[in-house]
Amino acid sequence: MNKVIAALDNSLATSPVLATASALAELFGAEVEPVHVRTDGARVARSVAEAAGLRLRELRGPIVESLCRTADDPEVVALVLGARGTPVAKRPLGSTAVAVATDIDKPLAVVPPDAQVAPSLRRVLVPIEAASRSLTPRTIVQIARGTGIDIVALHVIDETTVPAFTDQPQHENETRTREFLRRYCPWGIDNVQLEIRVGHVHQLVAPVADETNVDLIALGWSQQIGAGRARVVQTTLEQAHVPVLLLPVEIAKTSTGAAGGHVLATV
Amino acid sequence: MTTRVAPRRATRPLPAPLARRFEALLFDWDGTAVLDRQADGSEVRELVDELCAYGFVLGIVTGTHLGNVDGQLAARPPGPGRLYLCMNRGSEVFVADEAGVHLRYRREATPAEDAGLDAAAEATVAALGARGLRAEIVSQRLNRRKIDLIPEPEWSDPPKARIAELLQAVQERLRAAGLVSLQEAVQIGYDAAVAAGLPDPRVSSDAKHVEIGLTDKSDSARWLLEELARLGIGPGLVAVAGDEFGPLGGLPGSDSLLLVGEADRATAFSVGAEPTGTPAGVIPLGGGPARFADVLRDQLERRHRGDPPDIEDDPAWTLMVDGVDAHLERVHESLLAIADGHIGTRATPLFAHTAADPSVFVGNRYVGEGSETELARAPLWNTLPGRPATPAGVRRRLDLRSGLLRHDGPAEALQLSSLARPGTVAMRVLAKRRRLPESNRRVLEHDGVTTALFDRSEAGRLERIGAVARSESEALSALAAAGDAGFERLLAEHRGRWAARWAEADIVVEGDAELQRALRFTLFHLMASVPESGEAAVGARGLSGHGYRGHVFWDTDVFVLPFFAATHPESARAMLEYRLRRLTAAREAAARLGYAGARFPWESAASGVDVTPSHAHLPGGGIARIRTGEAEEHIVADVAWAADTYLGWTGDRAFEQGPFRTLLTETARYWASRVRLDHEGRAHILGVIGPDEYHEPVDDNAFTNVMARWNLRRAAAIGGSETERAQWLRVADALVDGYDEMSGLYEQFAGFFELEPLVIADIAPRRPIAADVLLGHERTAQAQVLKQADVLMLHQLVPDEVAPRSFLSNLDFYEPRTAHGSSLSPAVHASLLARAGRFREALAALRIAARMDLDDLTSSSSAGVHLATMGGLWQALAFGFAGVRPRGDVLVVDPRLPREWSALELRLRFRGNPLRLRIERTGVSIDAPPALALRKLDEHWEVVLT
Repeated sequence: MNKVIAALDNSLATSPVLATASALAELFGAEVEPVHVRTDGARVARSVAEAAGLRLRELRGPIVESLCRTADDPEVVALVLGARGTPVAKRPLGSTAVAVATDIDKPLAVVPPDAQVAPSLRRVLVPIEAASRSLTPRTIVQIARGTGIDIVALHVIDETTVPAFTDQPQHENETRTREFLRRYCPWGIDNVQLEIRVGHVHQLVAPVADETNVDLIALGWSQQIGAGRARVVQTTLEQAHVPVLLLPVEIAKTSTGAAGGHVLATV
Repeated sequence: MTTRVAPRRATRPLPAPLARRFEALLFDWDGTAVLDRQADGSEVRELVDELCAYGFVLGIVTGTHLGNVDGQLAARPPGPGRLYLCMNRGSEVFVADEAGVHLRYRREATPAEDAGLDAAAEATVAALGARGLRAEIVSQRLNRRKIDLIPEPEWSDPPKARIAELLQAVQERLRAAGLVSLQEAVQIGYDAAVAAGLPDPRVSSDAKHVEIGLTDKSDSARWLLEELARLGIGPGLVAVAGDEFGPLGGLPGSDSLLLVGEADRATAFSVGAEPTGTPAGVIPLGGGPARFADVLRDQLERRHRGDPPDIEDDPAWTLMVDGVDAHLERVHESLLAIADGHIGTRATPLFAHTAADPSVFVGNRYVGEGSETELARAPLWNTLPGRPATPAGVRRRLDLRSGLLRHDGPAEALQLSSLARPGTVAMRVLAKRRRLPESNRRVLEHDGVTTALFDRSEAGRLERIGAVARSESEALSALAAAGDAGFERLLAEHRGRWAARWAEADIVVEGDAELQRALRFTLFHLMASVPESGEAAVGARGLSGHGYRGHVFWDTDVFVLPFFAATHPESARAMLEYRLRRLTAAREAAARLGYAGARFPWESAASGVDVTPSHAHLPGGGIARIRTGEAEEHIVADVAWAADTYLGWTGDRAFEQGPFRTLLTETARYWASRVRLDHEGRAHILGVIGPDEYHEPVDDNAFTNVMARWNLRRAAAIGGSETERAQWLRVADALVDGYDEMSGLYEQFAGFFELEPLVIADIAPRRPIAADVLLGHERTAQAQVLKQADVLMLHQLVPDEVAPRSFLSNLDFYEPRTAHGSSLSPAVHASLLARAGRFREALAALRIAARMDLDDLTSSSSAGVHLATMGGLWQALAFGFAGVRPRGDVLVVDPRLPREWSALELRLRFRGNPLRLRIERTGVSIDAPPALALRKLDEHWEVVLT
């Protein structure tokens, strides 16, 4: 049986982590396994698990290694852990979460301590860029399609990608939306609602998530975090009020151009 | 495919370059098709007859006269192919058909030329005689004289087999006379001809004779290639055959004259012995007439079994897509779409692909209601059942010259949507490793449109003929007619029709090959998108995609119609007929608003009622109310302007006295009732939207007011009661236009100059740019940023209606403030910048317009090509660079040729007369019937009616 690992510590995020794991388990058709890496007692973790009718598995050893080793299990389809910090003082990923996120090659959900987690996922926000070498998390879109979950695809136009022409928006926008989804999100075109915003994507993911009332933000990422990298991931994790699912994405090696590039070869 | 008896196969396989289907063959007679003049020509005749029945075109090129060839061949072939007999060394062309042999062309020598030929021949004989070589003038054929270099009984009529011996004997005689070679004898003949006053003599030798003439085989070849071009057959589809391509006695072989420059892409082969070899590019097939017959049999076999024809592979005329790119497939299908004015078929891969967006659009036919009204779609005819092909192995090519779409890959296919029989389609498929549908006939229906299809399937080949119509009976009737004609005749008709359309409308830009290709792409889609009879509802994306739902905008009247008015007026008339048939709806619309006359809708479809959607989702989020349907009223004057443009090019008096008068009257009535007079008696038009849609609604939009004024004045010149005319003129004179004499500027609308003076050219990272997205809707509306030409459109459309010498000041002011956020804008600016002589900027704008769809610059070419941009591009060339404009009974030509171009050529039609206008650095010339003449004035030229 597939498993979603809920990494419970003794923080404010413990309950939302377990709730998120339950929701993801429903999405992935898996069961929840709460785990705790014993460092400073397991009372909060144990009581939250017991309240959910689950048995807590206690792990020993270095936290990161323990969690990564657990995630390595072929039956594990996702890992959920809490973002460190309190609702008042937000910080991006703590060092543990960073280490785990960059090491495992499976979906990792990071849950803010103030997240109001719905028992079932109804709507997921997925940022999409207009590039063939895209980090769009295809898997979540495909899974969502099979389970009837609504996808809100967010595309952000910045100064470099402002379109050249507006023409008649009452016709043009419908066409562009349809074509955009066919190019960059073709796997879920029937249940995807495209939201287009102007600005900088890293600043807009969390606000649009709030605006569109989603239950989860799904971000594809290359697992490279450092100066100037993964800005969307870091800012979203700082600002989001819902769980953020990080999906490792292998960048496609295609060389076809983005929209607007040279289309046609003549003889 | 056919029920004819299968032809005998070729005796041996042919080399690869010949193992393909050709559409025409030019060939020498004596030694190539037959051994000699005594040989039996019956086998060749049979092959010729059969090939012509399959649509093949043959051209015999020979030095002898008709009697010799026709006496042997005696072919009277049926169509749709043709047999041309080019006789007398380039001086005559006959056509043979079932009714007999008919003269098509004869080069008539003038008396001076005849005398010159005589003198040249005599001088040559004399010159040779002076050297001790006895020569004789042996014949005075049409346009040539033949001098026998070896007038001895033994060599009176030598067979081709003794050519080497003959050559040796002649050379011995020449040497004995102190002549080095046969070349020297030919040179003597040439010098004599020039001295006799012949400016371009054709002097050659067949070893025995020196022949001095006015024409030669190269003239035949050129004539034939031109004729083939008129039939829509390019040189890439032509084979050239002879037996004497290689040099003979140091002189070029006689058949080498067939290899004219125009035949560069033809495939040449020799069946002769060619003792000295063949020139580069000529396939040495050998085998004489028997092998030539093999080539004919091979061509027959390919047609008999139904191979899909190939297309011309000319880079200047071909668009090609390799593979199926999931991102760009929908764009490619738009770009390579084929249409015939009535239906348009997207260039979907033969076998279904998830990235494809297959559709067949039916012009003038709508489904749905209100703003959801959209073009009807017919059932698909161009796809086959089966799993998708591996994308990497698929290639699609569109031949723009003949409107043929060719597929290559796991299946080969040729598709056409007949321009000669709009609504009739045909396809031939050769499937290498695929199962094809069985033969069948079926009738399909979708959106109230019927498609009748007939498939004939055999041995891995499919031939499909179809007809799309509004009813089953119409479709079946058209299908029956098409079936009777057969695929080859449908193909020949279609090619010929496209060739005729190109002859009317082609543009040549010498000096910019990339622009040339883009122009051909543009003209193709324009011509394919509009019918030439009835009424033509021309949507923003034509028949190539679902974009804009097929709704008709000012795009059609202002941007597309002028091209047709100037090249194919029947189509322009059909576009006007669409508007005329919706005058009732336009009158009702005006009445509903409390106005008189006719008010055409911003977006029009089936009924003429406005179908503009009321809202749109904005790129930056949110929903915006769309007001263009309520307030973009310049469309009323635009329709009137389109009608006047048609009249200017055609001089159609019946139209002028009837529908034109009605149209102008009704639109003038509208404006007269629409204006509001202030206390000073000035007339205003309040609450409108001009072409610049960033600002809405506005008062006294200059474009709207000046076009309304033009409309009123034009109507007063032609229609209305006396009272009305007086009123119209009063209103026209009273209309404010925003012009300030001091600055020379037109204020785009009341209060424009008080807006934030942003110059988008200075602040935007690039142009074109959607400034409303970059800056936000509100900021843009409060700034002097334009979406597209507004005031400047007046200088493009009604240059005589604006203040004299106001052009440059307004260009300098408004151009930098234009974001070009409309795909209509770059072409207009290209035109205006060309008029101003600002070529660097003009060419930059022109290239954007030219690449609009090819580079998917709007990110929406997936939904169809931008027909108005295409029309605008034509206008930029015609009005902007060529400076062509009708003015009364005269066509003014006031060109602006950039130094990058060595010449610009346009095909036009003025007052029913076709003309080819050529503009070069040195001046202007026309090629036109006697009804037109060109005269030069101080600053420009005029084409006048004689």
